[in-house]
Amino acid sequence: MSNSMTIFRREFGSYFNSPIAYIFIIAFLVLNSGLFMTSFFLGGAADLRGFFGNLPLFLIFFIPAVSMRLWAEDKKTGTFELLMTLPMPTRDVMLGKYFAAFAFYLVALLGTLPLPIMVSALGNPDMGAIVSGYIGAALLGGLYMAIGMFTSGLMRDQISAVILGIMACFVIFILGIPTVATTIDGWVPGFGSMLQHYLGLSDHFNMMLRGVVSLGDLAYFLGLTTVFLTLNALWLEGRKY
Amino acid sequence: MIEVRGITKSFGTMRALDDVSFQIGKGEILGFLGPNGAGKSTTMKIITTFLAADSGTVEVDGIDVLKNPLAVRHRIGYLPENVPLYLDMNVHEYLRFVGEARGLSGNKLRDRLDWCVEACGLTTEFKKTIGELSKGYKQRTGLAQALIHDPDILILDEPTSGLDPLQIMGIRELIKSLAGSKTIIFSTHILQEVSPVTDRVVVINEGRIIADGDVNALARDAMQTNRVYVGARQFGDAVEADLRALAEVSEVSPAEMTSADGCRFEVRGPFDQDLVAAIDKLAREKAWELTELHEATFSLEDTFIALTRDARENGSRGVA
Repeated sequence: MSNSMTIFRREFGSYFNSPIAYIFIIAFLVLNSGLFMTSFFLGGAADLRGFFGNLPLFLIFFIPAVSMRLWAEDKKTGTFELLMTLPMPTRDVMLGKYFAAFAFYLVALLGTLPLPIMVSALGNPDMGAIVSGYIGAALLGGLYMAIGMFTSGLMRDQISAVILGIMACFVIFILGIPTVATTIDGWVPGFGSMLQHYLGLSDHFNMMLRGVVSLGDLAYFLGLTTVFLTLNALWLEGRKY
Repeated sequence: MIEVRGITKSFGTMRALDDVSFQIGKGEILGFLGPNGAGKSTTMKIITTFLAADSGTVEVDGIDVLKNPLAVRHRIGYLPENVPLYLDMNVHEYLRFVGEARGLSGNKLRDRLDWCVEACGLTTEFKKTIGELSKGYKQRTGLAQALIHDPDILILDEPTSGLDPLQIMGIRELIKSLAGSKTIIFSTHILQEVSPVTDRVVVINEGRIIADGDVNALARDAMQTNRVYVGARQFGDAVEADLRALAEVSEVSPAEMTSADGCRFEVRGPFDQDLVAAIDKLAREKAWELTELHEATFSLEDTFIALTRDARENGSRGVA
Protein backbone atom coordinates (compact mmCIF):
# COMPACT_ATOMS: atom_id res chain seq x y z
CA MET A 1 0.00 0.00 0.00
CA SER A 2 2.72 2.48 0.95
CA ASN A 3 4.58 1.31 -2.17
CA SER A 4 1.69 2.28 -4.38
CA MET A 5 1.29 5.58 -2.50
CA THR A 6 4.89 6.54 -3.27
CA ILE A 7 4.36 5.83 -6.97
CA PHE A 8 0.98 7.57 -6.86
CA ARG A 9 2.43 10.77 -5.40
CA ARG A 10 5.22 10.93 -7.98
CA GLU A 11 2.89 10.20 -10.91
CA PHE A 12 0.07 12.47 -9.81
CA GLY A 13 2.53 15.28 -9.13
CA SER A 14 4.08 14.84 -12.56
CA TYR A 15 0.80 15.74 -14.25
CA PHE A 16 0.96 19.15 -12.68
CA ASN A 17 4.70 19.64 -13.25
CA SER A 18 3.97 20.47 -16.85
CA PRO A 19 1.37 22.65 -18.57
CA ILE A 20 -0.11 19.52 -20.17
CA ALA A 21 -2.37 18.88 -17.19
CA TYR A 22 -3.91 22.33 -17.34
CA ILE A 23 -4.35 22.21 -21.10
CA PHE A 24 -6.04 18.83 -20.76
CA ILE A 25 -8.40 19.93 -18.04
CA ILE A 26 -9.32 23.14 -19.83
CA ALA A 27 -9.93 21.28 -23.10
CA PHE A 28 -11.99 18.68 -21.27
CA LEU A 29 -14.18 21.28 -19.62
CA VAL A 30 -14.57 23.58 -22.62
CA LEU A 31 -15.41 20.80 -25.08
CA ASN A 32 -17.70 18.93 -22.73
CA SER A 33 -19.61 21.94 -21.47
CA GLY A 34 -19.67 23.42 -24.96
CA LEU A 35 -21.18 20.28 -26.46
CA PHE A 36 -23.71 20.10 -23.68
CA MET A 37 -24.68 23.76 -23.59
CA THR A 38 -25.32 24.08 -27.33
CA SER A 39 -28.32 21.79 -27.03
CA PHE A 40 -29.23 22.42 -23.39
CA PHE A 41 -31.57 25.37 -23.89
CA LEU A 42 -33.24 23.73 -26.90
CA GLY A 43 -34.25 20.71 -24.85
CA GLY A 44 -35.72 22.75 -22.05
CA ALA A 45 -35.19 19.98 -19.48
CA ALA A 46 -33.26 20.68 -16.27
CA ASP A 47 -31.11 17.55 -16.23
CA LEU A 48 -27.59 16.46 -17.19
CA ARG A 49 -28.47 13.52 -19.41
CA GLY A 50 -27.09 15.25 -22.44
CA PHE A 51 -23.80 15.86 -20.65
CA PHE A 52 -23.38 12.29 -19.41
CA GLY A 53 -24.68 10.90 -22.69
CA ASN A 54 -21.79 12.53 -24.56
CA LEU A 55 -19.16 11.02 -22.27
CA PRO A 56 -18.80 7.45 -23.67
CA LEU A 57 -17.84 8.81 -27.07
CA PHE A 58 -15.95 11.85 -25.83
CA LEU A 59 -13.82 9.89 -23.34
CA ILE A 60 -12.75 7.46 -26.07
CA PHE A 61 -10.42 10.25 -27.17
CA PHE A 62 -9.77 12.00 -23.88
CA ILE A 63 -8.77 9.06 -21.69
CA PRO A 64 -6.26 7.36 -24.03
CA ALA A 65 -4.66 10.79 -24.44
CA VAL A 66 -4.12 10.82 -20.67
CA SER A 67 -3.12 7.17 -20.37
CA MET A 68 -0.81 6.95 -23.38
CA ARG A 69 2.20 8.10 -21.40
CA LEU A 70 1.72 5.70 -18.48
CA TRP A 71 4.24 3.08 -19.66
CA ALA A 72 5.32 4.30 -23.09
CA GLU A 73 6.99 7.39 -21.66
CA ASP A 74 8.87 5.43 -19.01
CA LYS A 75 10.11 3.04 -21.66
CA LYS A 76 11.37 5.91 -23.76
CA THR A 77 13.14 7.78 -20.95
CA GLY A 78 14.53 4.66 -19.28
CA THR A 79 12.67 5.10 -16.00
CA PHE A 80 10.84 1.88 -16.82
CA GLU A 81 13.98 0.01 -15.85
CA LEU A 82 14.12 1.90 -12.56
CA LEU A 83 10.48 1.12 -11.75
CA MET A 84 10.87 -2.55 -12.64
CA THR A 85 13.93 -2.97 -10.40
CA LEU A 86 12.44 -1.27 -7.34
CA PRO A 87 12.01 -3.64 -4.40
CA MET A 88 8.23 -3.75 -4.70
CA PRO A 89 5.87 -6.04 -6.60
CA THR A 90 5.15 -4.96 -10.16
CA ARG A 91 1.48 -4.84 -9.21
CA ASP A 92 2.15 -2.04 -6.70
CA VAL A 93 3.90 0.08 -9.33
CA MET A 94 1.04 -0.49 -11.75
CA LEU A 95 -1.69 0.37 -9.25
CA GLY A 96 0.13 3.52 -8.17
CA LYS A 97 0.32 4.66 -11.77
CA TYR A 98 -3.26 3.67 -12.54
CA PHE A 99 -4.78 5.48 -9.61
CA ALA A 100 -2.70 8.59 -10.28
CA ALA A 101 -4.09 8.76 -13.82
CA PHE A 102 -7.57 7.99 -12.55
CA ALA A 103 -7.31 10.73 -9.91
CA PHE A 104 -6.25 13.15 -12.60
CA TYR A 105 -9.38 12.28 -14.55
CA LEU A 106 -11.48 12.78 -11.41
CA VAL A 107 -10.00 16.26 -11.01
CA ALA A 108 -11.14 17.07 -14.54
CA LEU A 109 -14.54 15.58 -13.79
CA LEU A 110 -14.83 17.67 -10.59
CA GLY A 111 -14.38 20.72 -12.78
CA THR A 112 -17.82 20.04 -14.30
CA LEU A 113 -19.56 20.56 -10.95
CA PRO A 114 -20.81 24.03 -11.94
CA LEU A 115 -23.11 22.22 -14.41
CA PRO A 116 -25.30 20.51 -11.76
CA ILE A 117 -25.26 23.73 -9.73
CA MET A 118 -26.48 25.67 -12.76
CA VAL A 119 -29.12 23.06 -13.57
CA SER A 120 -30.48 23.07 -10.04
CA ALA A 121 -30.64 26.87 -10.11
CA LEU A 122 -32.63 26.76 -13.34
CA GLY A 123 -35.04 24.03 -12.44
CA ASN A 124 -35.68 21.07 -10.24
CA PRO A 125 -33.45 18.22 -11.50
CA ASP A 126 -33.45 14.64 -10.29
CA MET A 127 -30.40 14.79 -8.02
CA GLY A 128 -30.33 10.99 -7.76
CA ALA A 129 -29.81 10.71 -11.51
CA ILE A 130 -27.05 13.32 -11.37
CA VAL A 131 -25.23 11.51 -8.56
CA SER A 132 -25.55 8.15 -10.29
CA GLY A 133 -24.48 9.84 -13.54
CA TYR A 134 -21.28 10.98 -11.87
CA ILE A 135 -20.69 7.50 -10.46
CA GLY A 136 -21.18 6.14 -13.97
CA ALA A 137 -18.83 8.75 -15.43
CA ALA A 138 -16.14 7.82 -12.88
CA LEU A 139 -16.51 4.10 -13.56
CA LEU A 140 -16.51 4.66 -17.32
CA GLY A 141 -13.33 6.73 -17.07
CA GLY A 142 -11.77 4.08 -14.86
CA LEU A 143 -12.51 1.38 -17.42
CA TYR A 144 -11.16 3.38 -20.36
CA MET A 145 -8.10 4.26 -18.29
CA ALA A 146 -7.38 0.59 -17.62
CA ILE A 147 -7.71 -0.17 -21.32
CA GLY A 148 -5.51 2.78 -22.27
CA MET A 149 -2.90 1.83 -19.69
CA PHE A 150 -2.81 -1.70 -21.04
CA THR A 151 -2.24 -0.51 -24.61
CA SER A 152 0.40 1.94 -23.38
CA GLY A 153 2.24 -1.03 -21.90
CA LEU A 154 2.27 -2.81 -25.23
CA MET A 155 3.79 0.13 -27.06
CA ARG A 156 7.12 1.87 -26.95
CA ASP A 157 5.93 5.20 -28.25
CA GLN A 158 3.01 7.30 -27.18
CA ILE A 159 1.46 7.86 -30.58
CA SER A 160 0.96 4.14 -31.18
CA ALA A 161 -0.28 3.82 -27.60
CA VAL A 162 -2.94 6.48 -28.00
CA ILE A 163 -4.16 5.13 -31.36
CA LEU A 164 -4.36 1.56 -30.08
CA GLY A 165 -6.06 2.82 -26.91
CA ILE A 166 -8.69 4.73 -28.85
CA MET A 167 -9.37 1.70 -31.01
CA ALA A 168 -9.71 -0.62 -28.00
CA CYS A 169 -12.06 1.76 -26.19
CA PHE A 170 -14.05 2.17 -29.38
CA VAL A 171 -14.55 -1.59 -29.64
CA ILE A 172 -16.00 -1.71 -26.12
CA PHE A 173 -18.21 1.24 -26.97
CA ILE A 174 -19.47 -0.03 -30.32
CA LEU A 175 -20.24 -3.54 -29.06
CA GLY A 176 -22.86 -1.98 -26.78
CA ILE A 177 -24.78 -0.36 -29.62
CA PRO A 178 -27.97 -2.31 -30.46
CA THR A 179 -27.56 -2.01 -34.27
CA VAL A 180 -24.10 -3.49 -34.05
CA ALA A 181 -25.34 -6.28 -31.79
CA THR A 182 -28.19 -7.20 -34.14
CA THR A 183 -25.84 -7.15 -37.13
CA ILE A 184 -23.50 -9.60 -35.40
CA ASP A 185 -26.54 -11.65 -34.36
CA GLY A 186 -27.39 -11.87 -38.07
CA TRP A 187 -24.04 -13.60 -38.70
CA VAL A 188 -23.83 -15.73 -35.58
CA PRO A 189 -27.18 -15.90 -33.79
CA GLY A 190 -26.95 -14.85 -30.17
CA PHE A 191 -23.28 -13.86 -30.31
CA GLY A 192 -23.92 -10.15 -30.83
CA SER A 193 -26.32 -9.96 -27.90
CA MET A 194 -23.88 -11.82 -25.71
CA LEU A 195 -21.08 -9.39 -26.57
CA GLN A 196 -23.44 -6.48 -26.05
CA HIS A 197 -24.35 -7.72 -22.62
CA TYR A 198 -20.93 -8.76 -21.33
CA LEU A 199 -18.57 -6.36 -23.11
CA GLY A 200 -20.60 -3.47 -24.54
CA LEU A 201 -20.96 -0.54 -22.22
CA SER A 202 -24.09 1.32 -23.40
CA ASP A 203 -26.63 -0.78 -21.49
CA HIS A 204 -24.68 -0.54 -18.25
CA PHE A 205 -23.89 3.13 -18.57
CA ASN A 206 -27.38 4.18 -19.66
CA MET A 207 -28.90 2.60 -16.59
CA MET A 208 -26.80 4.89 -14.45
CA LEU A 209 -27.94 7.93 -16.42
CA ARG A 210 -31.47 7.05 -15.43
CA GLY A 211 -30.50 6.99 -11.79
CA VAL A 212 -30.19 3.24 -11.34
CA VAL A 213 -26.96 1.90 -9.86
CA SER A 214 -27.33 -1.86 -9.93
CA LEU A 215 -24.90 -4.45 -8.68
CA GLY A 216 -24.70 -5.98 -12.15
CA ASP A 217 -23.61 -2.70 -13.73
CA LEU A 218 -21.06 -2.06 -10.99
CA ALA A 219 -19.77 -5.60 -11.51
CA TYR A 220 -19.49 -4.94 -15.25
CA PHE A 221 -17.35 -1.82 -14.86
CA LEU A 222 -15.21 -3.01 -11.96
CA GLY A 223 -14.88 -6.49 -13.45
CA LEU A 224 -13.74 -5.34 -16.88
CA THR A 225 -11.40 -2.77 -15.31
CA THR A 226 -9.85 -5.54 -13.21
CA VAL A 227 -9.49 -7.73 -16.31
CA PHE A 228 -7.47 -5.08 -18.14
CA LEU A 229 -5.35 -4.27 -15.08
CA THR A 230 -4.64 -7.98 -14.65
CA LEU A 231 -3.68 -8.29 -18.31
CA ASN A 232 -1.39 -5.34 -17.80
CA ALA A 233 0.29 -6.92 -14.77
CA LEU A 234 0.66 -10.24 -16.60
CA TRP A 235 2.23 -8.52 -19.55
CA LEU A 236 4.66 -6.68 -17.27
CA GLU A 237 5.72 -9.95 -15.66
CA GLY A 238 5.86 -11.82 -18.95
CA ARG A 239 8.02 -9.15 -20.55
CA LYS A 240 11.02 -10.45 -18.60
CA TYR A 241 11.13 -13.73 -20.50
CA MET B 1 28.38 -12.50 -3.49
CA ILE B 2 27.19 -12.80 -7.09
CA GLU B 3 27.24 -16.11 -8.93
CA VAL B 4 26.32 -16.26 -12.56
CA ARG B 5 26.08 -19.84 -13.83
CA GLY B 6 25.63 -20.71 -17.47
CA ILE B 7 23.06 -18.08 -18.40
CA THR B 8 21.71 -17.96 -21.91
CA LYS B 9 19.38 -15.37 -23.35
CA SER B 10 17.92 -14.95 -26.81
CA PHE B 11 15.87 -12.11 -28.24
CA GLY B 12 13.94 -13.68 -31.07
CA THR B 13 16.51 -15.47 -33.18
CA MET B 14 19.36 -13.33 -31.89
CA ARG B 15 21.40 -15.06 -29.22
CA ALA B 16 22.47 -12.29 -26.84
CA LEU B 17 24.14 -14.44 -24.19
CA ASP B 18 25.59 -17.89 -24.58
CA ASP B 19 26.51 -19.87 -21.48
CA VAL B 20 27.85 -16.93 -19.48
CA SER B 21 29.39 -17.75 -16.09
CA PHE B 22 31.45 -15.75 -13.62
CA GLN B 23 31.46 -14.84 -9.98
CA ILE B 24 32.36 -11.95 -7.74
CA GLY B 25 33.34 -12.12 -4.11
CA LYS B 26 32.20 -9.75 -1.41
CA GLY B 27 33.86 -6.34 -1.60
CA GLU B 28 35.35 -7.05 -5.00
CA ILE B 29 35.22 -4.64 -7.93
CA LEU B 30 34.77 -6.14 -11.34
CA GLY B 31 35.25 -4.37 -14.65
CA PHE B 32 32.92 -5.82 -17.24
CA LEU B 33 34.44 -5.21 -20.62
CA GLY B 34 33.20 -5.74 -24.10
CA PRO B 35 32.44 -3.96 -27.35
CA ASN B 36 29.00 -2.48 -27.90
CA GLY B 37 26.36 -5.14 -28.31
CA ALA B 38 28.46 -7.84 -26.66
CA GLY B 39 25.90 -8.63 -23.98
CA LYS B 40 27.12 -6.51 -21.06
CA SER B 41 23.82 -4.73 -20.51
CA THR B 42 21.79 -7.91 -20.95
CA THR B 43 23.87 -9.66 -18.29
CA MET B 44 23.39 -6.76 -15.91
CA LYS B 45 19.66 -6.68 -16.58
CA ILE B 46 19.45 -10.34 -15.66
CA ILE B 47 21.41 -9.85 -12.43
CA THR B 48 19.17 -6.92 -11.46
CA THR B 49 16.03 -9.02 -12.20
CA PHE B 50 14.87 -6.70 -14.98
CA LEU B 51 15.10 -9.60 -17.42
CA ALA B 52 15.01 -13.35 -16.87
CA ALA B 53 17.54 -15.68 -18.45
CA ASP B 54 16.31 -18.45 -20.76
CA SER B 55 18.46 -20.93 -18.89
CA GLY B 56 21.11 -20.89 -16.19
CA THR B 57 20.94 -19.36 -12.73
CA VAL B 58 22.03 -16.18 -11.03
CA GLU B 59 22.44 -15.98 -7.28
CA VAL B 60 22.94 -12.74 -5.44
CA ASP B 61 24.03 -13.16 -1.83
CA GLY B 62 22.82 -16.76 -2.08
CA ILE B 63 19.38 -15.73 -3.31
CA ASP B 64 18.11 -16.89 -6.68
CA VAL B 65 17.05 -13.89 -8.79
CA LEU B 66 14.02 -15.69 -10.19
CA LYS B 67 12.78 -17.18 -6.93
CA ASN B 68 13.01 -14.07 -4.81
CA PRO B 69 13.52 -11.00 -7.00
CA LEU B 70 12.40 -8.49 -4.38
CA ALA B 71 15.05 -9.59 -1.89
CA VAL B 72 17.66 -9.31 -4.62
CA ARG B 73 16.48 -5.83 -5.61
CA HIS B 74 16.78 -4.68 -1.99
CA ARG B 75 20.49 -5.52 -2.04
CA ILE B 76 21.32 -3.96 -5.40
CA GLY B 77 21.84 -0.38 -6.49
CA TYR B 78 21.52 -0.20 -10.26
CA LEU B 79 22.49 2.46 -12.74
CA PRO B 80 21.20 1.41 -16.18
CA GLU B 81 22.99 2.50 -19.32
CA ASN B 82 20.08 4.76 -20.21
CA VAL B 83 20.06 6.81 -16.99
CA PRO B 84 16.52 6.58 -15.57
CA LEU B 85 15.66 10.17 -14.72
CA TYR B 86 12.38 12.02 -14.45
CA LEU B 87 13.26 15.20 -16.28
CA ASP B 88 10.36 17.13 -14.76
CA MET B 89 11.53 16.63 -11.16
CA ASN B 90 14.35 18.40 -9.39
CA VAL B 91 17.30 16.42 -8.04
CA HIS B 92 16.02 16.54 -4.48
CA GLU B 93 12.50 15.37 -5.34
CA TYR B 94 13.84 12.61 -7.54
CA LEU B 95 16.25 11.20 -4.98
CA ARG B 96 13.59 11.44 -2.30
CA PHE B 97 11.17 9.53 -4.53
CA VAL B 98 13.66 6.73 -5.21
CA GLY B 99 14.55 6.62 -1.51
CA GLU B 100 10.91 6.30 -0.48
CA ALA B 101 10.23 3.73 -3.18
CA ARG B 102 13.12 1.77 -1.72
CA GLY B 103 11.55 1.89 1.71
CA LEU B 104 13.52 4.67 3.38
CA SER B 105 11.81 7.29 5.51
CA GLY B 106 12.37 9.90 8.22
CA ASN B 107 15.88 10.51 9.50
CA LYS B 108 17.38 7.60 7.63
CA LEU B 109 16.14 9.02 4.33
CA ARG B 110 17.40 12.49 5.21
CA ASP B 111 20.85 11.16 6.17
CA ARG B 112 21.13 9.13 2.99
CA LEU B 113 20.00 12.08 0.85
CA ASP B 114 22.67 14.29 2.43
CA TRP B 115 25.32 11.62 1.97
CA CYS B 116 24.48 10.94 -1.67
CA VAL B 117 24.32 14.60 -2.61
CA GLU B 118 27.68 15.17 -0.95
CA ALA B 119 29.36 12.04 -2.32
CA CYS B 120 28.13 12.57 -5.87
CA GLY B 121 28.98 16.26 -5.88
CA LEU B 122 25.42 17.43 -6.41
CA THR B 123 25.32 20.09 -3.69
CA THR B 124 25.06 23.00 -6.11
CA GLU B 125 22.52 21.28 -8.37
CA PHE B 126 20.30 20.00 -5.57
CA LYS B 127 17.33 22.23 -6.36
CA LYS B 128 17.66 22.24 -10.14
CA THR B 129 15.24 20.52 -12.47
CA ILE B 130 16.89 17.39 -13.85
CA GLY B 131 15.98 18.30 -17.43
CA GLU B 132 18.20 21.38 -17.13
CA LEU B 133 21.27 19.55 -15.84
CA SER B 134 24.35 18.88 -17.93
CA LYS B 135 25.10 15.33 -19.03
CA GLY B 136 27.68 14.95 -16.27
CA TYR B 137 25.31 16.00 -13.52
CA LYS B 138 22.58 13.77 -14.92
CA GLN B 139 24.97 10.86 -14.71
CA ARG B 140 25.83 11.77 -11.12
CA THR B 141 22.18 12.01 -10.23
CA GLY B 142 21.73 8.53 -11.67
CA LEU B 143 24.62 7.31 -9.57
CA ALA B 144 23.19 8.97 -6.46
CA GLN B 145 19.92 7.16 -7.16
CA ALA B 146 21.76 3.83 -7.19
CA LEU B 147 23.42 4.64 -3.85
CA ILE B 148 20.46 6.07 -1.98
CA HIS B 149 19.59 2.90 -0.04
CA ASP B 150 23.22 2.11 0.81
CA PRO B 151 23.20 -1.17 -1.12
CA ASP B 152 25.82 -3.89 -0.64
CA ILE B 153 26.01 -4.37 -4.39
CA LEU B 154 26.36 -1.76 -7.10
CA ILE B 155 25.71 -2.53 -10.73
CA LEU B 156 26.77 0.33 -12.97
CA ASP B 157 26.20 0.09 -16.70
CA GLU B 158 28.65 2.38 -18.49
CA PRO B 159 28.78 4.90 -15.63
CA THR B 160 31.27 7.14 -17.41
CA SER B 161 29.89 7.14 -20.94
CA GLY B 162 29.55 10.56 -22.49
CA LEU B 163 31.41 12.35 -19.72
CA ASP B 164 34.40 14.65 -20.08
CA PRO B 165 37.78 13.54 -18.65
CA LEU B 166 37.38 15.53 -15.44
CA GLN B 167 33.94 14.06 -14.79
CA ILE B 168 35.25 10.57 -15.58
CA MET B 169 37.93 11.05 -12.95
CA GLY B 170 35.28 12.16 -10.47
CA ILE B 171 33.18 9.04 -11.04
CA ARG B 172 36.30 6.88 -10.89
CA GLU B 173 37.28 8.39 -7.55
CA LEU B 174 33.79 7.78 -6.25
CA ILE B 175 33.85 4.12 -7.29
CA LYS B 176 37.27 3.73 -5.72
CA SER B 177 36.09 5.30 -2.48
CA LEU B 178 33.33 2.71 -2.28
CA ALA B 179 35.77 -0.16 -2.79
CA GLY B 180 35.96 -2.63 0.04
CA SER B 181 32.60 -1.82 1.56
CA LYS B 182 30.62 -2.68 -1.56
CA THR B 183 30.65 -5.27 -4.29
CA ILE B 184 30.71 -3.45 -7.61
CA ILE B 185 30.29 -4.48 -11.23
CA PHE B 186 30.77 -1.74 -13.75
CA SER B 187 30.74 -2.11 -17.49
CA THR B 188 32.72 -0.14 -20.01
CA HIS B 189 34.14 -0.49 -23.48
CA ILE B 190 37.25 1.49 -22.61
CA LEU B 191 40.06 -0.61 -21.20
CA GLN B 192 41.91 2.35 -19.72
CA GLU B 193 38.96 2.98 -17.47
CA VAL B 194 39.34 -0.32 -15.71
CA SER B 195 42.93 -0.30 -14.54
CA PRO B 196 42.75 2.75 -12.25
CA VAL B 197 39.81 1.22 -10.40
CA THR B 198 40.35 -2.52 -10.38
CA ASP B 199 42.50 -5.31 -11.79
CA ARG B 200 39.75 -7.87 -12.11
CA VAL B 201 38.03 -7.93 -15.48
CA VAL B 202 35.63 -10.14 -17.31
CA VAL B 203 35.66 -9.68 -21.06
CA ILE B 204 32.60 -10.56 -23.09
CA ASN B 205 32.21 -10.67 -26.83
CA GLU B 206 29.26 -11.78 -28.94
CA GLY B 207 27.52 -13.12 -25.85
CA ARG B 208 30.41 -15.28 -24.64
CA ILE B 209 32.91 -14.71 -21.87
CA ILE B 210 36.29 -14.72 -23.58
CA ALA B 211 38.50 -13.75 -20.65
CA ASP B 212 38.28 -13.53 -16.88
CA GLY B 213 41.15 -12.44 -14.69
CA ASP B 214 43.79 -9.79 -14.08
CA VAL B 215 43.64 -7.00 -16.62
CA ASN B 216 47.39 -6.59 -17.16
CA ALA B 217 47.99 -10.31 -17.48
CA LEU B 218 45.17 -10.54 -20.00
CA ALA B 219 46.56 -7.72 -22.05
CA ARG B 220 50.02 -9.29 -22.03
CA ASP B 221 48.72 -12.67 -23.04
CA ALA B 222 46.72 -11.10 -25.77
CA MET B 223 49.48 -8.87 -27.06
CA GLN B 224 52.19 -11.52 -26.89
CA THR B 225 55.06 -9.01 -27.10
CA ASN B 226 55.99 -6.00 -25.04
CA ARG B 227 56.32 -2.72 -26.87
CA VAL B 228 58.54 0.23 -26.00
CA TYR B 229 58.64 3.58 -27.71
CA VAL B 230 62.06 5.17 -28.12
CA GLY B 231 62.66 8.68 -29.35
CA ALA B 232 66.07 10.31 -29.81
CA ARG B 233 67.53 13.46 -31.33
CA GLN B 234 70.21 11.48 -33.14
CA PHE B 235 70.23 10.35 -36.73
CA GLY B 236 67.78 7.47 -37.20
CA ASP B 237 69.71 4.76 -39.05
CA ALA B 238 72.50 4.46 -36.49
CA VAL B 239 70.00 4.31 -33.61
CA GLU B 240 67.97 1.67 -35.39
CA ALA B 241 70.99 -0.50 -36.04
CA ASP B 242 72.11 -0.26 -32.39
CA LEU B 243 68.65 -1.11 -31.15
CA ARG B 244 68.50 -4.16 -33.38
CA ALA B 245 71.83 -5.29 -31.99
CA LEU B 246 70.37 -5.56 -28.46
CA ALA B 247 69.80 -9.15 -27.32
CA GLU B 248 66.45 -8.32 -25.71
CA VAL B 249 64.97 -6.81 -28.85
CA SER B 250 63.08 -8.92 -31.35
CA GLU B 251 61.79 -6.25 -33.69
CA VAL B 252 62.34 -2.55 -34.41
CA SER B 253 60.09 -0.50 -36.62
CA PRO B 254 59.87 3.24 -37.27
CA ALA B 255 57.05 4.90 -35.37
CA GLU B 256 55.07 8.01 -36.14
CA MET B 257 57.08 11.16 -35.41
CA THR B 258 55.89 13.44 -32.64
CA SER B 259 58.43 16.21 -33.28
CA ALA B 260 60.18 17.52 -36.35
CA ASP B 261 63.75 16.38 -35.73
CA GLY B 262 65.38 13.14 -34.55
CA CYS B 263 63.86 9.70 -34.83
CA ARG B 264 61.26 7.52 -33.13
CA PHE B 265 60.95 3.73 -33.05
CA GLU B 266 58.63 1.07 -31.79
CA VAL B 267 60.70 -1.71 -30.24
CA ARG B 268 59.21 -5.12 -29.49
CA GLY B 269 60.48 -7.81 -27.21
CA PRO B 270 59.32 -10.56 -24.90
CA PHE B 271 57.62 -9.62 -21.63
CA ASP B 272 60.17 -11.37 -19.46
CA GLN B 273 62.94 -8.99 -20.55
CA ASP B 274 63.31 -5.47 -19.18
CA LEU B 275 63.39 -3.61 -22.46
CA VAL B 276 63.33 -0.13 -20.98
CA ALA B 277 66.35 -0.80 -18.76
CA ALA B 278 68.31 -2.33 -21.63
CA ILE B 279 67.63 0.57 -23.96
CA ASP B 280 68.38 3.08 -21.23
CA LYS B 281 71.75 1.43 -20.69
CA LEU B 282 72.45 1.48 -24.41
CA ALA B 283 71.49 5.14 -24.68
CA ARG B 284 73.92 6.08 -21.92
CA GLU B 285 76.75 4.13 -23.58
CA LYS B 286 76.11 5.78 -26.94
CA ALA B 287 75.36 9.17 -25.39
CA TRP B 288 72.00 9.46 -27.18
CA GLU B 289 69.86 12.38 -26.33
CA LEU B 290 66.58 10.60 -25.60
CA THR B 291 63.31 12.44 -26.01
CA GLU B 292 61.14 9.48 -25.17
CA LEU B 293 61.41 6.04 -23.57
CA HIS B 294 58.38 4.23 -22.21
CA GLU B 295 56.34 1.07 -22.49
CA ALA B 296 53.29 1.24 -24.69
CA THR B 297 49.97 1.19 -22.90
CA PHE B 298 47.76 -1.52 -24.26
CA SER B 299 44.98 -0.02 -26.22
CA LEU B 300 41.58 -1.52 -25.89
CA GLU B 301 41.35 -1.96 -29.62
CA ASP B 302 44.48 -4.09 -29.85
CA THR B 303 43.60 -6.19 -26.84
CA PHE B 304 40.10 -6.79 -28.05
CA ILE B 305 41.19 -7.68 -31.52
CA ALA B 306 43.72 -10.10 -30.06
CA LEU B 307 41.29 -11.60 -27.55
CA THR B 308 38.40 -11.98 -29.97
CA ARG B 309 40.75 -13.48 -32.56
CA ASP B 310 41.90 -16.03 -29.99
CA ALA B 311 38.32 -16.82 -29.07
CA ARG B 312 37.34 -17.33 -32.69
CA GLU B 313 40.33 -19.57 -33.39
CA ASN B 314 39.60 -21.65 -30.31
CA GLY B 315 35.98 -21.86 -31.29
CA SER B 316 36.68 -23.01 -34.84
CA ARG B 317 39.20 -25.48 -33.55
CA GLY B 318 36.53 -26.87 -31.26
CA VAL B 319 34.15 -27.32 -34.16
CA ALA B 320 36.76 -28.99 -36.37
